[in-house]
Amino acid sequence: MLPVRRLTVATGLLAALLCVASPVHAGDESLRQLIDSELKAGWAKKTITPAPKSADSEFLRRVYLDLVGTIPTHDETVAFLSDKEPKKRELLIDKLLADPRFARHQANVWDLVLFGRHPGNIDATRKRDSFKTWLTKQFADGVGYDKLVRELLQGEQVGSELFQVQFRNQPEEATIAISRIFLGTQLGCAKCHDHPYDKWTQKDFYGMAGFFVRIVIEEATAGNVKTYTVAEKASGEVLFSGAAKDQKPGKKGDPVKPRFLGGSDLDEPPTPKDAKEPTPKAGVKLPKPPFSRKQKLADWVTATENPFFAKAVANRVWAQFMGRGIVHPVDDFQAENKPSHPELLNALAERLSANKFDLKWLIREIVNSEAYQLAGTGSVTDTLPKHFERARVRPLTAEEIVLTLRTATSYESTGKSDDQSMSPNEYFMRAFGEPMNGMGDFQGSLSEHLFWNNAEQIRVFARRKKGNLTDQLLVATDPWEKRVERLYLTVLNRPAKPTEVAKFVEFIKSDAKPDARVEDAVWVLLTSSEFRFNH
Amino acid sequence: MKPFCRTGDHLSRRAFLKGAAVSGGGLVLPNWGGLAHAKTAAEIATKAKKRCILLWMNGGASQIDTFDMKPGRTTGGPFRPIQSKVTGLQVCEYLPKVAAVADKLAVIRSMQTHSPDHPDGIYHMHTCYKMSERTPHPELGAVIAKYNGDLGSDLPTFVRMGSCGNAGSGYLGPAHEPFSLGRDGKLGSFSTPYLADDAEKKRADLFRFVESEFAVDHKAEPFASHRTAKERAWRLLRAKAVFDISKEWPTAKERYGDSDFGRGCLMARKLVEAGVPFVEVGQENYDSHADNFVCHKANMQLLDPAYSGLLTDLSERGLLKDTLVIWMGEVGRTPGINNRAGRDHFIRAWTTVLAGGGIVGGQVYGSTDADGKDVKENPVSEGDLFATIYKALGINHRAKHLTGVRPVWLTPEGSQPVKELLG
Repeated sequence: MLPVRRLTVATGLLAALLCVASPVHAGDESLRQLIDSELKAGWAKKTITPAPKSADSEFLRRVYLDLVGTIPTHDETVAFLSDKEPKKRELLIDKLLADPRFARHQANVWDLVLFGRHPGNIDATRKRDSFKTWLTKQFADGVGYDKLVRELLQGEQVGSELFQVQFRNQPEEATIAISRIFLGTQLGCAKCHDHPYDKWTQKDFYGMAGFFVRIVIEEATAGNVKTYTVAEKASGEVLFSGAAKDQKPGKKGDPVKPRFLGGSDLDEPPTPKDAKEPTPKAGVKLPKPPFSRKQKLADWVTATENPFFAKAVANRVWAQFMGRGIVHPVDDFQAENKPSHPELLNALAERLSANKFDLKWLIREIVNSEAYQLAGTGSVTDTLPKHFERARVRPLTAEEIVLTLRTATSYESTGKSDDQSMSPNEYFMRAFGEPMNGMGDFQGSLSEHLFWNNAEQIRVFARRKKGNLTDQLLVATDPWEKRVERLYLTVLNRPAKPTEVAKFVEFIKSDAKPDARVEDAVWVLLTSSEFRFNH
Repeated sequence: MKPFCRTGDHLSRRAFLKGAAVSGGGLVLPNWGGLAHAKTAAEIATKAKKRCILLWMNGGASQIDTFDMKPGRTTGGPFRPIQSKVTGLQVCEYLPKVAAVADKLAVIRSMQTHSPDHPDGIYHMHTCYKMSERTPHPELGAVIAKYNGDLGSDLPTFVRMGSCGNAGSGYLGPAHEPFSLGRDGKLGSFSTPYLADDAEKKRADLFRFVESEFAVDHKAEPFASHRTAKERAWRLLRAKAVFDISKEWPTAKERYGDSDFGRGCLMARKLVEAGVPFVEVGQENYDSHADNFVCHKANMQLLDPAYSGLLTDLSERGLLKDTLVIWMGEVGRTPGINNRAGRDHFIRAWTTVLAGGGIVGGQVYGSTDADGKDVKENPVSEGDLFATIYKALGINHRAKHLTGVRPVWLTPEGSQPVKELLG
């Protein structure tokens, strides 16, 4: 069991309080405390015994991967494990949140949320360096999530425009993606027919599409470089012609007024009778329209009163660290899909909103909770335990695998630190890009393992090269037992068990010339499931 | 928990089998040394699921110049028809060997489909869904791999060669992803270990030790999935000899024709015999917007021996009744001949062919009008064709899956298997 600070009586008291007041106002309890009391109440109700508190080494690796996208170095590992400071976990969290890699890693996480691996308009969106630079800067500057989303929807800063560019000439795709990502709502079904079990109708769908129908992506070419501008026409309507199965060629349909999802029609001044759309000319940018639907949508989506926005992001960030959304899947808020901990979700959303949508604040609270710091051990086999009673298991992304392989093997010290090789190349993307089935479950694949087993791109991390891990182990002169301990601390960030030390020493000594054996020993840890996942 | 097989298990099984593996069809095959994980005869007999070979005519073959000849019409082109073994079925003069096995074929002359171009047609004819929906539908091969394959076997469950599908395993996930061989049937990237066998084995044993230590406290499914997939990759590497057809080829090329496509067809036969549930072999260069007849004549000369050879070979080995062979591409070609002597894409009335796997051979289903410009009777959609294929293979064509939160079915609503084609 967890060390219970407030005892069950206090939990019961809190539960009683919840009936009358929103947990936001439940005294001065910090969010991290509230998270733990809510989850404990859930465990008590279902008589679930949670996993014990994580070992320091387990926490260390997990929080590094979650906050900065790679593992700690050998020296960082040793320093943390030997530190006697009682608050060392909290201090480490603060240090990592202030690390420049935090912003870069969050940008990678959100880039995947916003584009996926197969974005639309692929010729324009395949390379997203300028977008990632922009997004990294937003996280580094601590820009609130509401402001960040407003800019994604407007696309007016250098780099931010690519988000809208992926939906070029596809207002339906924009409708589906934006409702799903920022509002946690699935409208896809309502494109072709009224949603079969949610309340959404085709009118809701095309009402939202009305906000995107006037968007025009302008393209300019300077030398080899193409740039894009998110412009907007002053006229143009969505034409709705009924259910897809009833559609006939030549049937045009009727214009639909823009309508905020689940809300009112857009209050829009009538277009003057004599208004004329400027004729598009090459090299001349479209003037801003007198009335911008895009801006109205951005205002509405990010408003404090928006019923979807704060909950959707609080739930998504929760799932990023806790594995499962309180509403799960994270982008399917609807009557039939109830939250597992409704009060907790309300509290996360309300407090995030009260803290100016500062995601770093929310992340700090979550990773400081006892729940986040539970062990990954126990008999539960679920990848994402339903009641958060054990740490979740998360496969590393292709981006994390590359960085983690580099950190684990001291790849930098071989003199290859160019920024280019920091991101996964096409081989890594093919092997690790999407280790999921369509429902978010991990599946190991043949191609992934043939790549691990036989690829030079993997071997290069294990093969001896002056300065790298294999080389360090070989040039050291202390007993092999010590060197195997170092190997474990470096690659898996934990002390080796005596059985492991014995087995590895035997393996390495089985050959008079240890070079090949050490390379293989490093390879084994790099391809182990302990390394492959964050757990 | 037993996370993975140890060498001992394999040895005992191997001893039991005494060097022989048994195929799904009940035939005893030579064990290629590496096939250490092959199931016992009884285990396989209870499963006996059907298999499928897709001969993919990349670019879109012309129906009028192959199986729906229009002699004497302006759309007919220069090729002459020859009578096949089956009454009412004439085929092109450049398919004489296929004509001789026409009693095995069910020719569907009334395909009416919906995606007129290459990427979307290739997607549609591999998934029976429109590409523009952007739902990650799995290819035919992944579906068959999931339902009729055995992830415990040594070989991949979905193998392909040459230009084929573009959808992959979609929502079914990487466990059912295609395993690509080269055009000539050679193994692709990352299939050659850089270590010598004994070093590879020692390293694998150390890996198993590390995993078993970790598995003591860590029971979550992804860890097991990781090591299962690793063992699968290792078994595949040990069973690699299956992919070597150099010994059979000198004799087999007489039957299959000396071409990459012919080699691919022999490989397909060998793989389904070894229990692989789905193999796709692509043939190139059907997209004849110009010089349609030169192009088709050349292609048919490779197709004729390979296609007929495959059917004959499967039949002689008793495998044809459990192996469905599909002949199709992404589109048909226009009846009208353009001013470059080419035919363009055509989806209003074109032809696909099924054989084996419980399909009633020796028949023509559906028909087109005198010039081949439209379907005269019994139109068949992508969904109907796939429903027929799935039904023949013992797979429920309305099986429901989820992609994210959304329910999806193997074939679109309203798809119906064609009864006349099924035995």
